[in-house]
Amino acid sequence: MAIPAPLTSDQVYHRCPIEKLDFETTESLEDLELPCGQERVLRALEFGASMQAAGFNLFVLGPSGAGKHELVKRFLAGHAASRSAPSDWCYVFNFKVSDRPRVIALPAGQGQSFRKDMADLADELRTAIPATFESEEYQSRLQELQEEMAKRQHQGLFDIQEEANSNNIAMVTTPAGFTFAPMKEGEVIDPEEYKKFSDEEKELVESKVEELQKKLQQNIQQIPRLRKEVRERVHALNEEMVQLTLGGPIGELRAKWQDLPDVVEYLDAVREDVVEHAEAFQDSDNGPPLGLLARYKINLLVDNSETVGAPVIYEDLPNHQHLVGQIEHHARQGTLYTDFTLIRGGAVHRANGGYLMIDARRLLTQPMAWESLKRILFSGEIRIESLERLYGLVSTVSLQPEAIPVSVKVVLLGDRMLYYLLSHYDQDFLDLFKVEADFEDDLDRDDECYDLYARMIATMARHLKTRPIERAGVARLIEHASRLAADQKKLTAHDRVIRDLLSEADHWADQAGAEGIGAEHIQQAIDEREYRASRIRERSREQISRGIVMIATEGVQVAQVNGLSVLRIGASMFGQPSRITATARPGKGQVVDIEREAKLGGPIHSKAVMILSRFLASRYAGDGELSLSASLAFEQSYGGVEGDSASVAETCVLLSAIARIPLKQSFAVTGSMNQHGEVQAVGGVNEKIEGFFDVCKEAGSVKGRGVLLPASNVEHLMLREEVRTAIAAGDFSIYPIADIAQAIELLTGMEAGAADEEGVYPEGSFNRMVSERLALFAEASNKKESNGDDGEGARNGGGNGH
Amino acid sequence: MEAGMVTEQASGMPSGNPHGRVLVLLDGSRMSYVALKAAADIARRTGAEILGVFVEESNLLRSAGYGFAREVGAASGISRPFSTDKVEERMVRMADQARKALAEAMSGQGSRHGLSIARGRVIDEVLTLTAPDDILVLGRTGWSSGVGRPIGSTALGLIRRSPSRVLLWCERPVSDRNRIVVFLNDHEQANHRAMLAAAESARHLHQPVTVILPGDAGLTNERLERIKQDLDVLGAGTRLRQLTVCDPSTVARVLHEEKASELVMSRECSLFRKPGMEDLVASLNLPVTVTP
Repeated sequence: MAIPAPLTSDQVYHRCPIEKLDFETTESLEDLELPCGQERVLRALEFGASMQAAGFNLFVLGPSGAGKHELVKRFLAGHAASRSAPSDWCYVFNFKVSDRPRVIALPAGQGQSFRKDMADLADELRTAIPATFESEEYQSRLQELQEEMAKRQHQGLFDIQEEANSNNIAMVTTPAGFTFAPMKEGEVIDPEEYKKFSDEEKELVESKVEELQKKLQQNIQQIPRLRKEVRERVHALNEEMVQLTLGGPIGELRAKWQDLPDVVEYLDAVREDVVEHAEAFQDSDNGPPLGLLARYKINLLVDNSETVGAPVIYEDLPNHQHLVGQIEHHARQGTLYTDFTLIRGGAVHRANGGYLMIDARRLLTQPMAWESLKRILFSGEIRIESLERLYGLVSTVSLQPEAIPVSVKVVLLGDRMLYYLLSHYDQDFLDLFKVEADFEDDLDRDDECYDLYARMIATMARHLKTRPIERAGVARLIEHASRLAADQKKLTAHDRVIRDLLSEADHWADQAGAEGIGAEHIQQAIDEREYRASRIRERSREQISRGIVMIATEGVQVAQVNGLSVLRIGASMFGQPSRITATARPGKGQVVDIEREAKLGGPIHSKAVMILSRFLASRYAGDGELSLSASLAFEQSYGGVEGDSASVAETCVLLSAIARIPLKQSFAVTGSMNQHGEVQAVGGVNEKIEGFFDVCKEAGSVKGRGVLLPASNVEHLMLREEVRTAIAAGDFSIYPIADIAQAIELLTGMEAGAADEEGVYPEGSFNRMVSERLALFAEASNKKESNGDDGEGARNGGGNGH
Repeated sequence: MEAGMVTEQASGMPSGNPHGRVLVLLDGSRMSYVALKAAADIARRTGAEILGVFVEESNLLRSAGYGFAREVGAASGISRPFSTDKVEERMVRMADQARKALAEAMSGQGSRHGLSIARGRVIDEVLTLTAPDDILVLGRTGWSSGVGRPIGSTALGLIRRSPSRVLLWCERPVSDRNRIVVFLNDHEQANHRAMLAAAESARHLHQPVTVILPGDAGLTNERLERIKQDLDVLGAGTRLRQLTVCDPSTVARVLHEEKASELVMSRECSLFRKPGMEDLVASLNLPVTVTP
């Protein structure tokens, strides 16, 4: 198989064509309203924001730092502006059921006016009603009434007394009541004298006394009813007076608010309540009790007087109380009191009729917050209930405010993992969040993108208030965006990284006293960031240069090759070579993955070793049995090994061990391999190549060194300038390989050799030598087995002779 | 027994009190005990002797002697048997209570006190005991308060007939009423007595006085001037109001406006003779002093 040509410096880096950037600095560029390359998210947002049906709330998913929050806020603000501001909401006292405050909706901005009207009314009540009760008219009517009623009450007694007197019977007051006795000239007749009366006279007196007693009895028993009547008539008088006093102010308010039936109904309830409590207003010195007047206050829960368009609310601490509101309490002498004026609205109240943005992770970490939000979205109304009540921890009497109907579009922002976990584990989730807005990680890098990306950078720069960025600076940024995307045909969509880089470059430009941000400032920012994160990388390289970690970059060696791995620490990652070694001897067709045996290898690595093992068997053993006992190890690797990117290197080193053919140590190899020996793409190629380049440089020279990488990874290369210079000078080489044979030929300098129809490799080829060695292994194994069959002696003496 | 009288006298009580005595009518009703406190207060203030008067009403005792007699409860209207024995027992008990209450009210005071127990018609017995220099204190209602009578027949009889000053007591309202209101008329001596009584109350209660001159009092300018000069006797803050119309309802309003804590008037006052005056006194929830 033909050895591929090493890549040129142009192939390992996709330059930004400067001629595509038609400006001097970003100052001349227009702002970009919406980010480029996020059409999917924008369409999802447009759909989600406009869709009226229930459950079409949005979940915006994407990695952190992708600028989700900024974009969604900007988009929703634009969308909300065209809509009308939603209603104001207020809680008022419920005169029928005092612990269930009523809710009233008013057109946006009218809540304040209503609140002021009611405060004015309360002020008027405070003075006007006592004045009514002070009035001469009221006092004289009250007196008339009392006199009339007193008269009626006493008239009965008086009539009985009169009747008794006219019949010569005295009605005598006793300590406990009354008694009747015959009298003469105003004095009760002595009982002795009475005995002298004739029987007829006695009978007459006694029957009259009896009759009077009955009448008196009836009369006394009517007194409570009379008293009740007095109370009722006084109350009716009070009501009448208060009605007259209230007629004017309440009438005006009724006329003013006639279009709002709820307000009119409330005003009527206030009038009835004032009338009912007329007596409480009578104290002209102290005025009516404050508690009574407080009932006519308005608790303006949601005031949209200054809201333009539909509200867009972002709740940065989405706990239960902040979302659904709460009922606060006043502490008075150690006792807690509350009333409807202490009901506080939450973010959902404020967002009602608009949009509510919440970070999904924060929402999920707050107790009951997620459940409460779902409850609101399912029921379409907000009930204010305290957390302790929801948990059933308290049972004290509290308010149960009427529920407020809610129409809110909730936009959750979170990473993808959260979305998928919620979809899987929460059965309600997909019912409530039907619109998924998935952020792109990368944008396509094509000819049209440069202008848009430059405008996006210009917008960011203005937003960050940095210096304008020069054309070369923008180009460098675009190239770095490709490097961040690890793809020559992509640009990263993570705007946090770009923003941070811009801020840092602005700082360096400032330090340098430059007017604009040039490519050098961008480069300095990149280098500085890399340097700040380089402590571990440098320690690791130092161990290699000092020979503590053994990596050979020159010469040849049997059963030893340089693999490449990538380490990710925090936000930075770097590549470094690892020595991979192999052993091979006759056996039963097994390849021991030492990493797996030591439980340091991950499942993907194990899978790669199994693939490698089957590749060996199918390619070299043909129809026969593969008689091999081999082992593979990452030398001086004390952490875990995962991934299949070393499978090309492992194959090469194992074949070297079998055939005892040395491999060039000036190369490092990366790439995964399938069972047919085809080389497949891997990740982190830029870091791996640069890692090996740095090790070679520290070992003395990069000349003649190189890296073998999958051909399909070439378009991911965005190597740094130093590496590119070495490539251009022909010192450092990168070979794109598509098949394991190419790797073998590059590493051994021998022809790999293709099998003929009978499966025989050409004489002198690498594969032929491997086949022959495996044949020898098979032979040795067979011999061992036949010796073993001979019995005890063979077992005792066996093994050493092979 | 009829019209008999027993006077118990506390030890060491000298006869002939230059200030006159304070007589308090004790009938066992709640209001009479409230009046006792007021009487004790006056006695303490003036150093006068206090005499409780308990009258066993002869009509009541006779009524109980009838076999068919029944007592109809003032509150419940329930009728139950009534006998002399029971009434006698009740009278003894109430006299005993009155004695104890009097002793208690006067405990720790130097004033002399005694209880007079008489049997006969209440008004007559009290009038027999009362001298012009005395002050007669009684509750506005006695037993009849049970049926809601605002003023009892005994009280009405005594304010009309007593030769002495009568203080018709009721519980003082707790609000901030703070003026003594006195009604004057064209009777100079009567005016003098009323003003004296008002001045005493004003001094005791540290309250200013409002003097009301009814329009129909027929005062000459000269007399009016003299009254104005005499106002100094009543102390600082004295106010004079002249009423063109003087009927019970106007008086009620004026008393309300003045925040009257006590009303003083002479029996000779024209207002006293107006129809409805009794109802006015009945409807006022404040102590009323009626001077001869």
